Amino acid sequence: MSKATIIPFGPQHPVLPEPLHLDLVVEDETVVEAIPQIGFVHRGLEKLVETRDYNQFIYVAERICGICAFGHSLGYAETVESLMGVEVPKRAEYLRVIWHELSRVHSHLLWLGLAADAFGFESLFMHCWRLRERILDIFEKTTGGRVILSVVSVGGVNRDINASQMDEIIHTLEGIEHDYHEIMQVMLNDGSVKNRTVGVGYISHESALDLCMVGPFARASNVAYDVRMFGHGGYGELSDFQPLCATEGDCYARVKVRCEEVLQSIAIIKEMAAKIPAGDIAVPVKGSPAAGAEAANVLEQPRGECYYYARGNGTKYLDRMRMRTPTSQNLAGMVSVLEGCDLADVNMIILTIDPCISCTER
Amino acid sequence: MFTSEFLPLALENVSSEAARRKTDGWRFVQLLAVADNTGTGDRDSTVDLVYSYMKDGMLENLVVKGVSVGDGADVDEVASITDKYLSAFVFENEVHDLFGVHITNIAIDFAGHFYQVPVREPMTIISPEQKVARERAAKMAAMKAAKEKAEANGAGDGAKKDAAKSEADIEAKLAALPPEKAAKIRAAMEAKAAKEKAAQGGEASNE
Amino acid sequence: MSEFGLGRMTFGSLFKKPETLLYPLETKPAPEGLKGHIVIKVDDCILCGICERTCPCSAIKVSKPDRTWEINRFQCVQCGSCVRACPKKCLSMDPSYTSPSAQIYTDSFSIPEKEKPAKAEPNSLASETTLFAHQSPCQTAGRFPHEFIDESRRSR
Repeated sequence: MSKATIIPFGPQHPVLPEPLHLDLVVEDETVVEAIPQIGFVHRGLEKLVETRDYNQFIYVAERICGICAFGHSLGYAETVESLMGVEVPKRAEYLRVIWHELSRVHSHLLWLGLAADAFGFESLFMHCWRLRERILDIFEKTTGGRVILSVVSVGGVNRDINASQMDEIIHTLEGIEHDYHEIMQVMLNDGSVKNRTVGVGYISHESALDLCMVGPFARASNVAYDVRMFGHGGYGELSDFQPLCATEGDCYARVKVRCEEVLQSIAIIKEMAAKIPAGDIAVPVKGSPAAGAEAANVLEQPRGECYYYARGNGTKYLDRMRMRTPTSQNLAGMVSVLEGCDLADVNMIILTIDPCISCTER
Repeated sequence: MFTSEFLPLALENVSSEAARRKTDGWRFVQLLAVADNTGTGDRDSTVDLVYSYMKDGMLENLVVKGVSVGDGADVDEVASITDKYLSAFVFENEVHDLFGVHITNIAIDFAGHFYQVPVREPMTIISPEQKVARERAAKMAAMKAAKEKAEANGAGDGAKKDAAKSEADIEAKLAALPPEKAAKIRAAMEAKAAKEKAAQGGEASNE
Repeated sequence: MSEFGLGRMTFGSLFKKPETLLYPLETKPAPEGLKGHIVIKVDDCILCGICERTCPCSAIKVSKPDRTWEINRFQCVQCGSCVRACPKKCLSMDPSYTSPSAQIYTDSFSIPEKEKPAKAEPNSLASETTLFAHQSPCQTAGRFPHEFIDESRRSR
C-alpha cells in the first residue's frame, strides 16, 4: 500500500514561463490527481473597458498576451465591427489573415522551441527560435513593432503591405520553409524526441469531445474543429481549408499537429499574398454601439478557439468585453490527462497543451 | 460562416438545458456574466449570465436575465453544469469570484480562492466613469421622453411647441456633453436670455 | 538519418555569418516605419488637443494657455493613435527608440504663435533644437535608477 503525497508544481517552474500552479497528488511515481490553480496574475483588463473607448481598447486587448497579441486585437475588432454593423474592405481582411497566420507561425515555432528545451534538445530549441526571429523581423518591417503590432483598427487595418514587401515576405517564408523541413524531420522522427512523446498523455476522441477541448489539443485527438473552416472574414476567400487532425491523441500527436500547421499557415499566406485585391484598407467608423446591443464572435488563435463577447451602452464606452481564451477551455482536459501519468512526464504533458495563463486571467 | 444567436433562458432551466444540449451533442463554449446596470449604490446588484453552446457552426448564447448577486439572504442560487460539462468549472469559479454569483455543487470548487483579487467581487463595482456615463444615458432618455411629451402636448400653440421643441433639443444636446462644458454653455444661454429680457424691458419702458 | 540533417545545419552555421549581433558594438538598422517615438513639428501644431483625447494611456498633455505640448515618453505605448488623429499632420513616428533613463521625465515643447507665415523658414533650425534639447539633462546612462523604486506609477 503506497502513501499519497502532494507535490506542488509551479507557479515558478523551469519548464513553464507561465504562473500555473498544480497540486499533484502522487502515489509512488504515478499522479493520481492534479488540482490546478491560477489567479496569480489577474489584471482586470476586462474592467478597463469601462474607462477606455472602443477604439482605445484595441491597444489594451492586444496586451492581454504577448504571443497572441495580434489575434486578440483582431478578435476584439471583429466583435465591435459586428456590434456596429461595419463592413471591412476586402484588402483589410486579406491583410488581417496574413498577419494572423504569421503570428501563428511565430507562436508554433516558439512552442516547438520550448518543447525541445523541455526535453533537453538545446540545439533544436535554438534552430526553432532562429527561424522565429525572421518572422518577428517581418512584423517589424511591415507594422513597426515586433510583438505588439498595433496594426488593427475598428473598420480595417492601419498599415498596408506594398508589393515589394509582400515579395520579401514570401521570399523569407521560403527560406524558413527550407530550414523548417529539417527541424520537422527531427521533431517527428528523432528517437530521443519520440521517447519522450509517443504514448504519453493519451486522451481519447470521446473524452476530448466530452471535455469540450479546443485547438491543437483537441485536433490531436481527431476532433475536426478549427474556427477557420467556417470561412469567417478573409478565411472565406481560401480555395480550400481542412483542419489538420491526428488520431493518436498523445503528446506526439500534439507535436505533429502543430508542426504541420506551420506549413499550412505558410501555404495560406502564400495563397493570400498571390490573390490580394487592391483597394482601401479601412473604412471610417462613426457613432457608437447601440445601448444593449450584444455580439459574440469566435476566432482561431494559435492555441485554439477564442470567444469574444461585447455589449454596448449607447456611448463610445462598452458595458462589457469578454474574452474566453483557449487555455481556460482546455484546463479541464489538462486535469483529466494528468491523472495516471508518470511524475516525470508532467512537464511534457503540460507543455504540449501549451497553456497561456496570462491570456486566461486577463 | 458561423452564425451567432442570443436566446433567453430561465434560471431554473440552466441545468436541464445543459443536459439536453449534452445529449444533442452540443459543445459547451463558455459562461460569462455581465453586470446589467441596475445598481444604485456603488455595486451592481444583478447580473446577466450568458451560456454559450456550439454545434456545426451554430453559436447559441443563452441569456439568463437578472440573477441577483452579493451577500443578501434571498440571493439567487444557480445550479452548476459541471456534472454535464466539466470544462465549465473554470468559468463558474470565475463568475463566483469576480461577480459574486452563487453557484451550487461545482465539481472543482475553489470556494472563492480561484483568483487572488485584493477586492471582493471587483467586476460588480461601479466605477466613477461608469456612473457618469449611466447618469448621462438616463438624462438623455429623460430628455427624449420630455421632448416627445412636449410634441404631443403642443398641438394647440404652434409657437410654444417650437420653443419647447428647440429647448428640449438643446437640453438633449447638453446632456451628451461633458459636465464642465455643459455648465459653460448653460451660463452663456442664461446670460443671453437675461440680455434679451433686459432689452425687451428697455423697449417697454421707452414706450 | 534525421539527426544528420539537423547536425548538418548546425555544423554549417559554423561557416556562415552569425545570426546574432554583437549588440553594443553593432546595432540593427531600424527599418522604415518602426514605431520608435513620437516627434512633433511645433510650427504646424494648432493645440487642438485631439491627440490628448485619443491617447489610450494619457501620455500627452496639451495646454492652450501655456502654449505647450507635453509627452510622457514612459507612459507612451507607441500605438500611433495620435499620429493618425492629428488634423494638421504635425505628429509622426521616428524610427528610434527612447533611450533608457534613471528618471521618468516629460518632454515639453512650446508651440510658437501663428503670426509668421508658415513657409518662411522651411525646416527651421529652431524647431530642431527644441526637439532634442531635452536629451542632455536626463541621460544618466549606466546607473541603477534608485529613484524609480519609489515611483508611484511603477507597476507592481
